[in-house]
Amino acid sequence: MLNTRTALTPSLIAIVGFLTVCPVVMLVFGSFSEGIGAFGTFTLEKYIQSYTDPEFANIIVNTVIFTIGSAFVATLLALFLAYLNTRTNIPFKFVFRIISIIPMMIPHILFSVSWVLLLNPSNGLINLFLRQIFSLENSPFNIYTLEGMILVEGLLDLPIAYLILAPAMAAFDVSLEESSKVSGASNLRTLTRVTLPVLRPAILASFILVIVRSLASFAVPSIIGMPGRIYVLATHIYRIIATGFAADFGMAAAVGMSALAASITLIYLYRYLTSESEKYVTISSRGYRPALVELKNAKYPLFGIVAILSLVLIVLPVLVLFYTSLVPYSMVPSAKAFSMMNWKHWLEVLKDPISLLSLKNSVFLGIVGASLGVILSIFVSYVIVKVRTPAAGVLESLSFLSFSFPGIVIGIGFMWFFVRTPLYATIWSLLIGYIATYLPYGIRPLTSAFVQIHSHLEESSRVCGGGTLYTLRRIIIPLLIPGVVSGWILMATMFVRELTLSVVLSRPGTEVLAVQILHFAEDGLWGKLSALGIMMIFISSTLVVIASLIGTKLTKMEEDS
Amino acid sequence: MEIRIKSVSKDFFSEGKKIKALSNVDLTIPANQIFTLLGPSGCGKTTLLRCIVGLETPDSGEIAIGEEIVWSKEKNIFVPPEKRGLSMVFQTYAIWPHMTVFDNVAYPLQTRKESKEEIRSKVEKTLRFVQLEGFENRPATKLSGGQQQRVALARALVPEPKVILFDEPLSNLDAKLREETRKELRSFLTELKITAVYVTHDRIEALSLSDAIAVMKDGRMVEIGTPKKIYFGSDHRFVADFIGQANLINGKVAAIEDSYTIVDSSIGTISCQKSPDTSVGNAVTLCIRPEFIKVMEGDTSEEINIFRGRVESLLFVGDAYEAEIIIKATRLIIRIEPTAIVEEGDEIALAFDPDHCFLLSK
Repeated sequence: MLNTRTALTPSLIAIVGFLTVCPVVMLVFGSFSEGIGAFGTFTLEKYIQSYTDPEFANIIVNTVIFTIGSAFVATLLALFLAYLNTRTNIPFKFVFRIISIIPMMIPHILFSVSWVLLLNPSNGLINLFLRQIFSLENSPFNIYTLEGMILVEGLLDLPIAYLILAPAMAAFDVSLEESSKVSGASNLRTLTRVTLPVLRPAILASFILVIVRSLASFAVPSIIGMPGRIYVLATHIYRIIATGFAADFGMAAAVGMSALAASITLIYLYRYLTSESEKYVTISSRGYRPALVELKNAKYPLFGIVAILSLVLIVLPVLVLFYTSLVPYSMVPSAKAFSMMNWKHWLEVLKDPISLLSLKNSVFLGIVGASLGVILSIFVSYVIVKVRTPAAGVLESLSFLSFSFPGIVIGIGFMWFFVRTPLYATIWSLLIGYIATYLPYGIRPLTSAFVQIHSHLEESSRVCGGGTLYTLRRIIIPLLIPGVVSGWILMATMFVRELTLSVVLSRPGTEVLAVQILHFAEDGLWGKLSALGIMMIFISSTLVVIASLIGTKLTKMEEDS
Repeated sequence: MEIRIKSVSKDFFSEGKKIKALSNVDLTIPANQIFTLLGPSGCGKTTLLRCIVGLETPDSGEIAIGEEIVWSKEKNIFVPPEKRGLSMVFQTYAIWPHMTVFDNVAYPLQTRKESKEEIRSKVEKTLRFVQLEGFENRPATKLSGGQQQRVALARALVPEPKVILFDEPLSNLDAKLREETRKELRSFLTELKITAVYVTHDRIEALSLSDAIAVMKDGRMVEIGTPKKIYFGSDHRFVADFIGQANLINGKVAAIEDSYTIVDSSIGTISCQKSPDTSVGNAVTLCIRPEFIKVMEGDTSEEINIFRGRVESLLFVGDAYEAEIIIKATRLIIRIEPTAIVEEGDEIALAFDPDHCFLLSK
């Protein structure tokens, strides 16, 4: 027993270390090499070439405006929602929970596409509608701008900002505010001098995390930015490897290095701030709830804003996609439009061999990838929570490292690696890349599950007469199942929709859903795209339902035995 | 069943340092008694309990439960916890959150593959005993702390073990509930005629629950005795101080009389309980508990053990004043009737009850 335990940690460190460190090392070497075929011949040429490009300054400016702008949109909206939910008597609070979770389930690429379908200047539905009503000559809105990108990315990152800010606000000790008011300060003064400063670390943390996410974002820059010729780092890298005369993976690596460096720096800053905010936020152990602000007349108008926001975030994207998949070309919903609806796009997609292949590949990656990923996560979480040696600490840092890696950059790193192996251009290269990048999604729920299994629960079973296997079957596994199920669901849904890593690693024969959707978007085939997109949402949801059912069934079985 | 522990030692390694959790512990826990292991945190009491139950293995020595040796370094015997037939109540209760109250309590019987009807009737009986009837189908996590504690007790009782081990079972309850549960536990255990080994750092718990108390310190047994022996006549300075408030006064034996031993101390000459192994001239520590120092009024010339002191501070604690008294530069703690008319700075006469002035030999 002791021997297997001591061997477990080093082998896990080797596996996870390979998954997270290998692409970075390959990226660094690649950036100093002459080309993907001439690995290891040292040269600075790629750096000189990419960083002296006159357009590069432009790309950096765009990236900075895009990321910071998105961070502003997401954080301000999240502050507004979190305040309303935790500190006021606004009605229908369950809506906030939905807003904070559902957008994560809608694939980013489809969310971006739905906004293009609504607001693009030539035939965006809202534009067409306004032009009809006010007989305008030109479309009033153009999504293909930096502002459009910021709006959509901000909405996409809203849930992350909310999940950081809402708990911080809920844990806020109201007596801090009360003592300010007792000291004679007005409400506004209390807000600006006490409430916001105390929440500052959480606000900054949310801000920085959104910057990191938007820096790594590929869906919005590719779907909305590229048609408007607005390039940020992620799309610049994509352009280097996917368009033009020859893919230059050396240059992509050299550019990727700066995105990686920026991302790692920001994550360190984020870590520092969250540890600060834990010091700051005073959690009352007496468990009393903060006094709620009476909204009075503003109650329903404010809820109206929230309702519109949830409509925009959840209902509209799915509705627009479904509508577009059924009408022959872009037109404002009308009697005529409804009469012309048919399943043509759906049938075309189902006859298109590449779409079918991508469906098959994505389902395979979702099921097999998530299962392998969860198995690895179980072992890693076990060591992190239960073994607690210095080596386990190393494993913990390693396994959360990939959080700070932008997907496309990691894809470039893996490309340098896979080209040298027989795995190149196989589905397994995607599978390995996915697990490496999304490992934290499996580890998070499983570490919480292991934390819940206090050693006393295990020991108590032993004392009650249950042997090791009996204890495993009746106590440990049933308690782990909820964690396994959520880890599997998170990984499977991420894998089915995966885009950023796939645009680099996917080759002919290994197309996946999101990449196929991107190609449809590039060709302007909105009808087919929408049909395939709805199928993708349907597959994710089915996997979620099946996994939950199996989970409940397994737990029940353990209880009955 | 009797538990015999023979020269058991165990070391822990923490951050490169060796910590002696148990060093050469010899102990016999008599059958059908409530036996308490008492000591400050880190004294090794929980480690000893875990060695008995088999969740921890000692580095050396031998442990026997009844006639069966469950652990022996020399004879290379290790009986795993599930084969020792003991029950244990954990500090955290260790209630399985995915099971109902019934399943939690039925678990020990299910491991033995008893028939369903038998399990049902035994569980019902036990739940009635701990006053949790009708809670069978509740999820165990939906219970209050006190109820969870009783589920844990029921689970320990249901297999009708000969020995039951308690690891600070009351420490997670709030003060009032702890008092009630303590009384209940005492009556449950007395009724059952069972060997109970009880680990705690709470002296009131130890005194009120136990038939015998073993006080531990730094991995060693310091003193074993009945609660009254430990409280009124402990041999060790550490034990006297740990088990309750104590005034410890250094002195020298001046004479040994028929009924009392006379000690010369920093506050004067004190008559004390006789102690067998002292002789004139020995340096000794004298212990008197606050409740045995009385405030005297009127003529005191007839009495023995009368000392005059100044009231340094008075603290009203409800049922008494806790007062600090200075007698010839020695600071003592006493308890004064709450109705007494005393003020800080007063000179008062104090009588030390000679039958409760005892000498500590170690």
